[in-house]
Amino acid sequence: MRFSGLRVLKEGLTGNRGWAPHWRDPEPKTEYDIVIIGGGGHGLSTAYYLAKEHGLTNVAVLEKGYLGGGNVGRNTTIVRANYFLEGNSQFYSHSLKLWEGLEEDLNYNVMHSQRGIINLFHSDGQRDAAARRGNMMISQGDDAILLGRDELRGMLPYLNYDNLRFPIYGGLYHPRGGTARHDAVAWGYARGADSRGVDLIQNCEVTGIDIKNGKVTGVQTTRGAIRARKIAMVVAGRSSQVAAMAGMRLPIESHVLQAFVTEGLKPCIDHVVTFGMGHFYISQSDKGGLVFGGDIDFYASYAARGNLPTVENVMEAGMALMPMIGKARVLRSWGGIMDMSPDGSPIIDKTHVEGLYLNCGWNYGGFKAVPGSGHVFAHLIATDTYHENATGFRLDRFRTGRGIIDEEGKGSQHNLH
Amino acid sequence: MRITCPLCGERDRREFYYKGHALELNRPTPDAGEEAWDAYVYTRENPAGETRDLWYHEGGCGAWVVVTRNTVTHEVLATELARGVRR
Amino acid sequence: MDKLIAKSPCAGLLPLTIGDVTLTEEEAGAMTVLTPRKGKAEAAAEALAKAHGPAWPEPGRATGPAGARAIWFGHDEVLLMGPDPDKSLGQHAYLVDQSDAWAAVRLEGEGTEDVLARLVPIDLRPEVFKRGHSARTQLFHMSVSITRLPDGAFLILAFRSMAASLVHDLKRAMEAVAARG
Repeated sequence: MRFSGLRVLKEGLTGNRGWAPHWRDPEPKTEYDIVIIGGGGHGLSTAYYLAKEHGLTNVAVLEKGYLGGGNVGRNTTIVRANYFLEGNSQFYSHSLKLWEGLEEDLNYNVMHSQRGIINLFHSDGQRDAAARRGNMMISQGDDAILLGRDELRGMLPYLNYDNLRFPIYGGLYHPRGGTARHDAVAWGYARGADSRGVDLIQNCEVTGIDIKNGKVTGVQTTRGAIRARKIAMVVAGRSSQVAAMAGMRLPIESHVLQAFVTEGLKPCIDHVVTFGMGHFYISQSDKGGLVFGGDIDFYASYAARGNLPTVENVMEAGMALMPMIGKARVLRSWGGIMDMSPDGSPIIDKTHVEGLYLNCGWNYGGFKAVPGSGHVFAHLIATDTYHENATGFRLDRFRTGRGIIDEEGKGSQHNLH
Repeated sequence: MRITCPLCGERDRREFYYKGHALELNRPTPDAGEEAWDAYVYTRENPAGETRDLWYHEGGCGAWVVVTRNTVTHEVLATELARGVRR
Repeated sequence: MDKLIAKSPCAGLLPLTIGDVTLTEEEAGAMTVLTPRKGKAEAAAEALAKAHGPAWPEPGRATGPAGARAIWFGHDEVLLMGPDPDKSLGQHAYLVDQSDAWAAVRLEGEGTEDVLARLVPIDLRPEVFKRGHSARTQLFHMSVSITRLPDGAFLILAFRSMAASLVHDLKRAMEAVAARG
């Protein structure tokens, strides 16, 4: 079933009776070439690109809950490629390019909106750092514009420019950054993978990984044993538990990150605005709600809800940045579980077990990476070689000390990234 | 979340700074080898359930506290001064 | 060199009376933080009592009168407030001179607990936080030491650099309480 304007018109005129489910609900087979553990954004995009780019369709995605029920449905939907360090820059640039062709590629409206992201700065030193970051983005082939205070005021008149502690000096503008409809991204990839023959199996929790002579042979699940030549773990939020089934101990600590949305308002915030000094960022959804968030709660947690001190911090930062939001009523808040890695960068690698692949450690930044992560991970699984834009995300970089990608220079404490 | 400081009594979570798992109290010797240092600095058991971690009562008495806690429910089960735990 | 004039941390800010509550600056005298040397807790306590009078306070307590107070000041720390520390203390404890590093204010009158309840996250009602009780906690965003003195008033210590914020925050809370009548 293809989506098109004509199709929408026809369905609209005939009572919308022609729409069918977007993917099948197959019984698991007893054997696949490749089993992907985790039916979130990254797992589904991995399956899609395995099928599309590598012609591998004897693939199952195993999801313990429902598709897209984890972090891909719990984030704040920001898409960007404004990284600074070698290793990250080319990867996120790669991912953004995939975003830009995604809707056509998937024939699915993921509501990708390149409304631009603005990172604010508040001192001469921060302006220098922003300029440097902008130059790195440009040299990577992406876009960045350094905005002064007056230019910024024209674009974002609602900010408090004269906050005593953090007066706004300007912002680094990344016009190709923006947002996308998070659930639609999961659904679009699910539909694309399913239509190419991938089995998407929900309510199927992996309970064990079978390894024989250092090589994977299959998985045990709540819906029976499934044999597989290759197994991919893509379960950010539960990475440590799944990897432990293969005898691995990961450099990951799980933390809860809260997000908030207000009642629907008329359009007032046209961009994504980040206020790094207050650990606050905000955008407005197409439905009108202000979507915003802040820092992690700071303690290891698997509860998809946080505590009040962080709520208070986020609200205070929001009020400091744009006093007008004090009038908006917060409708909902929720939490997602972040795989926090010791350098703030992800891991996409093979493991010590032959045929077992690992994708984890996305910290706060998993959503924008969904296309890129699946694309390069599929490449790794299919070819056993690293994609040219993802050579840096090695698991052994911590143990060996080679190739740490510490974007914020925070050191090895997981919760500081 | 409220944490009982062994010295100050039950206090709001915001008086505390979080460091990480209490394994940080057991620093390996300099010659312990790559694996031991990797396990100390980077890798974590990261349990979904009961864990023991280190909190600093920075908004209070300045003691380091080992907190036994459930990471799924946020229930605080026990607290003790890190000094008493340390090898 | 011109003659330098010592100013107290809250000079020009206090005293202040709003409604029934009065905030004044407390004469702190010398302020010395004592930490017992390893295994010398008892000896340090004996030396403190012998030289200056107050018993070594347990966690959450303060001892001694104005001019020679000993306030529990944190994990293994006691603040001696008033006298210059006797040399004998140095044999059993590490001494850190923190004179002039703290702003010391005194809050008294009807409704002081209501004022502090707006700023401090712990229960300071008289039946819970009694005379001679002391706590390290936060006042708004500041780290403070709060003690209920023998006369029932509160002694609040905050970093000297934050004296203006301390007075500002207390003043606003005093105004808010007074406004409720």
